[in-house]
Amino acid sequence: MPDSQTVTIVRKVPGGKLVRMEVTSATVAGPIERVKITGDFFLHPEETLERLRSAIESSPLPLDADALTARLERIMAEDNAEAIGFAPGDLVSMLAEALA
Amino acid sequence: MNAFRMIPFQKFDAFTNMALDEAIMEGVRSGDTLPTIRFYGWTPSAISIGIFQGLRNEVNPDAAQAAGIDIVRRQTGGGAVYHDTDGEVTYSLIAPLALFPSSVLESYALICTDIVRALAHLGIKASFAPINDIVVNERKISGNAQTRRNGVLLQHGTILHEVNVEKMFSLLAVPPEKMSDKLVKSVRSRVTCVRDLTDCSITDLCAALEQGFSHKRAIVYGDYTQDERSCAAELASRKYRTDAWNLKL
Repeated sequence: MPDSQTVTIVRKVPGGKLVRMEVTSATVAGPIERVKITGDFFLHPEETLERLRSAIESSPLPLDADALTARLERIMAEDNAEAIGFAPGDLVSMLAEALA
Repeated sequence: MNAFRMIPFQKFDAFTNMALDEAIMEGVRSGDTLPTIRFYGWTPSAISIGIFQGLRNEVNPDAAQAAGIDIVRRQTGGGAVYHDTDGEVTYSLIAPLALFPSSVLESYALICTDIVRALAHLGIKASFAPINDIVVNERKISGNAQTRRNGVLLQHGTILHEVNVEKMFSLLAVPPEKMSDKLVKSVRSRVTCVRDLTDCSITDLCAALEQGFSHKRAIVYGDYTQDERSCAAELASRKYRTDAWNLKL
């Protein structure tokens, strides 16, 4: 049973805020076991972050970036959410970088 | 013109400060409390972190404990802030969301204009710098953060009176290999404070802020009610002092 590995991606979004994503997955190319998102960004309502995080954590591999971006944007619309300092696409590209 | 309660500067511990904001939000939501603007300080000095930040990523807990510094997670986003007990004034504005623009950025601009106006009373020419800062000559003098819950807007922020970057860095989680005189000078060159610009006291700053926030508002001076103090004490104990809240990320 291989140990899990955690990859941390830290990104200062241009013109935005700092986002840190920790992706824990099985050593051999996933699946994703856990995703943690922290940073100094704003998201209203704040509870939407858990929905975004959960969607990222459960995204199937190999990653379909367009599909995941669409899913995150749908969550934002459903919650009438406003993100300040990052966009859903930033989270998806950070996940892609963590999985690369 | 909407009436606002204004509560002059008082100092509390970090947990009580955050709990008072939440207690007042509940009062405003229920209609029991007027929209409120409060000014406050922190005793002992404290670090507040944003609601989405990982405490261990932001703070050096051993240094904070050794210095007797409280650490609390805010209910607002944004970054970690060192609140020196003698170095700043913090404000909270708590009001029905309906009184402010629905756009978060527009409401930041509107409320921060009150602070810009306050600083102008001290002869300081400041300006709002989106997303959530106020600057003087491109150097930050005030940071602000906002949340909206149950139809109530809370915006709070700090206005620096004096700044001690070395102390701030000793408490924040800056890796030792990155800590240097150059870094301290670099940050100091991007931050300013009232005392860099005038001889005004904290009392002068508070008076200017009261004046700035009174613009186009009917102000009723007041104090915390006994219900608010009781509710805040309970919230501080049940939420803001707990590891479950402060270490949740």
